[in-house]
Amino acid sequence: MADVTSSRQGTQTEDKPQIDMNMVAIAMHRRSRRLGLYFWIPMIWLVIVAVACIFAPFWGLPPADEIDWVYIQSPPVEGHPLGTDNLGRDLLSRIVWGGRVSLTVGFAAPFIGVGLGLILGLIAGYYRGWADEVIGILIDAWLAIPGLVVLLLFSVVFGGSLFMVCVSLGLLFIPTAARITRAATLNYAGREFVLAAKAMGASDFRIMRKEIFPNIIWPLIAFILIDIPIAIVIEGALSFLGLSVKAPTPSWGGIIAEGREVLSTYPHIAMYPTLVMFVTVLSFNLVGDAIRRRLADVREGAI
Amino acid sequence: MRYLLYRLRRLAIVLGVVTFITFLLVNVLPGDVAYEMAGMDSTEEEVQEIREELGLNRPVLIRYVEWVGGVFTGDWGTSYINKENVWDAVTDRFPVSFELMLLAQILALSMAIPAGMASAFRPNGRADRIIGALAFASVSMPSFMTAILLIFVFALGLGWLPATGYEPLSTGLWANLKPMILPALSLALVEWTILMRTLRVEMISVLQENYIALARAKGMSNLRILWVHALRPSSFSMITLLGLQVARLLGGTIIIEQIFGIPGIGRLLIHAVYTRDFIVIQGCVTFFALAFVTANFLVDVAYAWLDPRVRTGGSHG
Amino acid sequence: MHMGEIILDVRDQRTSFATARGMLAAVDGVSFTLQRGRTLGVVGESGSGKSVLSRSIMRLLPGNAVVPGGSRVILNGRDLTRLSEAELRRLRGPEMAIVFQDPMTSLNPVLSIGRQIMEVLMFHLGMKKRAARARAIELLTAVGLPQPDVRVDQYPHQLSGGMRQRVAIAIAIACEPDLLIADEPTTALDVTVQAEILDLLQRMVRERNMAMILITHDMGVVAGRCDDVAVMYAGRIVEQAPVRDLFRNTRMPYTAALLASIPKVTDPPHRKLDAIDGRPPDLINPPPGCPFAPRCKLADADCDQGKPMLEGPAGHLFACIRPLGQETAA
Repeated sequence: MADVTSSRQGTQTEDKPQIDMNMVAIAMHRRSRRLGLYFWIPMIWLVIVAVACIFAPFWGLPPADEIDWVYIQSPPVEGHPLGTDNLGRDLLSRIVWGGRVSLTVGFAAPFIGVGLGLILGLIAGYYRGWADEVIGILIDAWLAIPGLVVLLLFSVVFGGSLFMVCVSLGLLFIPTAARITRAATLNYAGREFVLAAKAMGASDFRIMRKEIFPNIIWPLIAFILIDIPIAIVIEGALSFLGLSVKAPTPSWGGIIAEGREVLSTYPHIAMYPTLVMFVTVLSFNLVGDAIRRRLADVREGAI
Repeated sequence: MRYLLYRLRRLAIVLGVVTFITFLLVNVLPGDVAYEMAGMDSTEEEVQEIREELGLNRPVLIRYVEWVGGVFTGDWGTSYINKENVWDAVTDRFPVSFELMLLAQILALSMAIPAGMASAFRPNGRADRIIGALAFASVSMPSFMTAILLIFVFALGLGWLPATGYEPLSTGLWANLKPMILPALSLALVEWTILMRTLRVEMISVLQENYIALARAKGMSNLRILWVHALRPSSFSMITLLGLQVARLLGGTIIIEQIFGIPGIGRLLIHAVYTRDFIVIQGCVTFFALAFVTANFLVDVAYAWLDPRVRTGGSHG
Repeated sequence: MHMGEIILDVRDQRTSFATARGMLAAVDGVSFTLQRGRTLGVVGESGSGKSVLSRSIMRLLPGNAVVPGGSRVILNGRDLTRLSEAELRRLRGPEMAIVFQDPMTSLNPVLSIGRQIMEVLMFHLGMKKRAARARAIELLTAVGLPQPDVRVDQYPHQLSGGMRQRVAIAIAIACEPDLLIADEPTTALDVTVQAEILDLLQRMVRERNMAMILITHDMGVVAGRCDDVAVMYAGRIVEQAPVRDLFRNTRMPYTAALLASIPKVTDPPHRKLDAIDGRPPDLINPPPGCPFAPRCKLADADCDQGKPMLEGPAGHLFACIRPLGQETAA
C-alpha cells in the first residue's frame, strides 16, 4: 500500500548496490505473508483451553459445585490453585467447566446463525422480487431490536438450556450472514456458469447448491471466524445477567457476576475468570484475523 | 427528498414488524402475568378472572391492533405490576439512558477519530500497529468486563469516581456527570474500535486521492490535511455505523445500567422481564426500535451535511 | 526578475520504488535546468517517468520511494533534497506549484472552491479571511471563470471539467510561484477545452514571468507552446532540444516514432496511425543497453552494449549511438 501521506518522502540513502535493495524488498514482502507469532501463540492458548475444557472430567478437579467448607472465598491455597469463590467452590474447576459452556456456544451459535442466514440470503439473492423485499424488511426489523433484548425475551420464553442459548444467540447472526450471502449470490447469479447450468435444465436447488454455494462459502467462513469470539462475549454478558444456562452450571460470565459482589474484598474471584475469558477471546480474534488474511491472500491468487 | 421519503416508509414498515414480533414473543411467555398477579396459591378460576379483566383471553391479533391504536393516541398501557403508566415510565427513564449513550458515543468518537487518523496516516507504521493492538485488546473485552475492571481500578482502587449511583442534572453538572463517566467509558471502550477501523480503512483510500496530493502540493500541513481535507470525505461509513451502533449501544446500556445501578430504560426492561410485565417490555422494545429508527434517519440527514453533492442535488462527480 | 535567471536545476535525479518484485527505477538519472520565463515540455508515453519526475521535483513522493544521495533539485539556489518537510511546505505554493491531470479528482469534493483557494492565501501569505476571499475572486476572474463571485461559494461537482481545471490553475498561481508544473493538464478534458486551458497556462506564465514544466504525452501540445522539449523514455531523457530543432532535426528514433504518431491535418481520413510496436521495458529488470533498442528499427548489436549517454552539439542533446540524420550532422 503506497503511503502517500508519509512526511518523509523518498528517503535519501547513500548509494547502495541496487541488488541489495531488491533482495530486501522481496524478503520484506515474503515476511508479511507468513503466519507469525501473533497466530501461533494465541493458537497454543486456544488448544490448551480446548483440551482443558473437553477433557474436564479427567483432570481430577473437585466437582464445580462442591463446596469446601474449610476454604470459603479463599485466595489460592493447596488443593485450590486459583482459590475458591463466594460459596467455597473451587475456582479453577468452575472456570474449566464454565469454559465448556462458552466454547460450545462460541462454536454452535455462529454455525446456526450462518446456516439460517445462508438460506435466507440465497433465497433473497437468487429469486429477488418480493422474496427479497420481505426478507429485507425482516432483517431490518431484526436489526432494530437490540440483540440483548432478543436474548432476554428468548431466555425468559424458552428457559435456560444450553441448546436454547445456542439457538437464540445464533439468531443474532442471521441478519449479517443473510446480507453477505445475498450480496455474494447477486454477484454470482448472473454469471455465465450459472446461466449455463440453467440452460442445461438444472433445478434451482441444484444451481444454488452446486454452482453458487461453493463460491460464496469463503466470505461466510471468514464471517464465522469473526463471530466465534462475539458469541463467547455475548454468552458472557447473558450469563453475567443470569439469563444463560441455569444456576448450578458454571459459566464465565456467571462467575464474574458472582465475583463482582465481593470485588472490593476478594477481587481474585472476578479477576481470574475475567483474565481467562479476555485472553481466550483475544486469541480467537487474533487467530481469526490471521486466517482471514490468509484466506484473502489465497483468493486473490497471490504468491 | 424522494430518497428520504422512501427511507421513511421503509422505516415505518420496520417499526410495524418489530412491534408485532415483540408482541408475539411476549404473548407466548409461559406463565403469563396473570399467574404472577394472582399469587402463588391461587386457583385456576382466579387466574382466569384476572386474564379476562386484563383482556388477555382475546386473540393476539386483536390485542395487537388495539395496542397499536393506543400507541398512536399516546396510551401505551399501564404496568400490570405497579400500575404505572408505560409511556410515563419509559419517558421518565429514557433521558437517563440517552445521556449515557450520548456520553458513550462522544467518548468513543473522541477516541476513534484521532486514532483512526493516526493509523491511516501511515498504514503499518508504528502508530498503526500500536493502535491496532489496542483495538484488538479492546474489542476482546466485553463492556461488562471493562466495567468491572474500571470499577476495580478507579472506584475501589483509586477512589476517584463512584462505583454506582445516579444524580439528576438538577444537582449540578459535575455531580451528574461524575457517576456517568465510568459507565460511559465502559461502553465507549468497546465501541471505539469499530468506529476507528471503519474510519481507518476509508481514510487510507481517501489519502490516496488526487485532491490530497494537491493539498500537499499547496503546502498544507499534515494535520490540516487530515482534519480539513481528509476527515469529512472519509467519515461516511463511520456515520452509517454510528446509526447502526445505536442498537448495540442500547443493548450495552442494559448491562451497564445494571452494573452501575443507573435508573435508565435498561433497568426498567430487565425488571419487566424478571416480573413478566409484558406491557412494559412491549413499551421498552417499541421505544428502542423508535430510537434506532430515528437515529438512522438522522444519519441520512447527516449525509447531506457531510456531502455537498447530496445537499445541492448535483449529479456528476 | 530578469529573463535568463536559472529557476530550477535538476541534477542526476533518480527515483526508485520498493515493490514486491524488487526496486523499480522510475526516474533514472535526469538532469536539466530551467530559466525564468521559459517553458520546458516533457514528453513521453505513460510509464516513462514524467509524472514521477514532477513529483520528485515537488518532493511529493510516496513512502516507498527511494532517492539516492547524489540527486539534487535546486530551486532558486536552494537544494530541495536538503530541506526538511516543514521547510518544503513553505516553498510549495509560493515558489513551486503544480496542476494535476484530472480536475475531476484533484479538487476536494466537500470544500467550496473558494475555501480551497483561500486556504493557500491564508496559510502562505497570512491573509485574513475577508482579504483572501476578495483575492480568490480576483484569481478566479484572472483564470477566466464566469461569474466568479457566485462560483467562489460553489463546490467542485457544480463545475464542468474545464472550469475545474481553471480553478486548479487559480490555486496554483495564487501565491505567484516561480515554477509551475502542469502535469498533463488537458488530458482529461474535452478536445474543445484543451486549447483554452493551454492558452490560459501560457498567458499566466508570460504575465507572471514564471518558469513552467509542461508534462504531456502529446507531441502536438508541445509544438506551439514550449521553448524546449525533453523526451523521456524508461525514466531517462533520451532527447532534449529547443522545440524547433527537435521537430526539424529529430535525432533519436524514439522521438521520430512519437512524432509519427501525431495525426496530421493533411492525412487522408481514416489513415492508420503509426503506433510504436512493442512495449516499454520492464523498469525492475531493465535491458543492459539502450532501453529503446528492442523496439527500435535502427538498432544493431552495439545498441545492447551499455546505456548511451545524453550528449550532443549546441543544445541539442540525444542519447543514441545510431541517431537519425547522421549524414546531415556535423
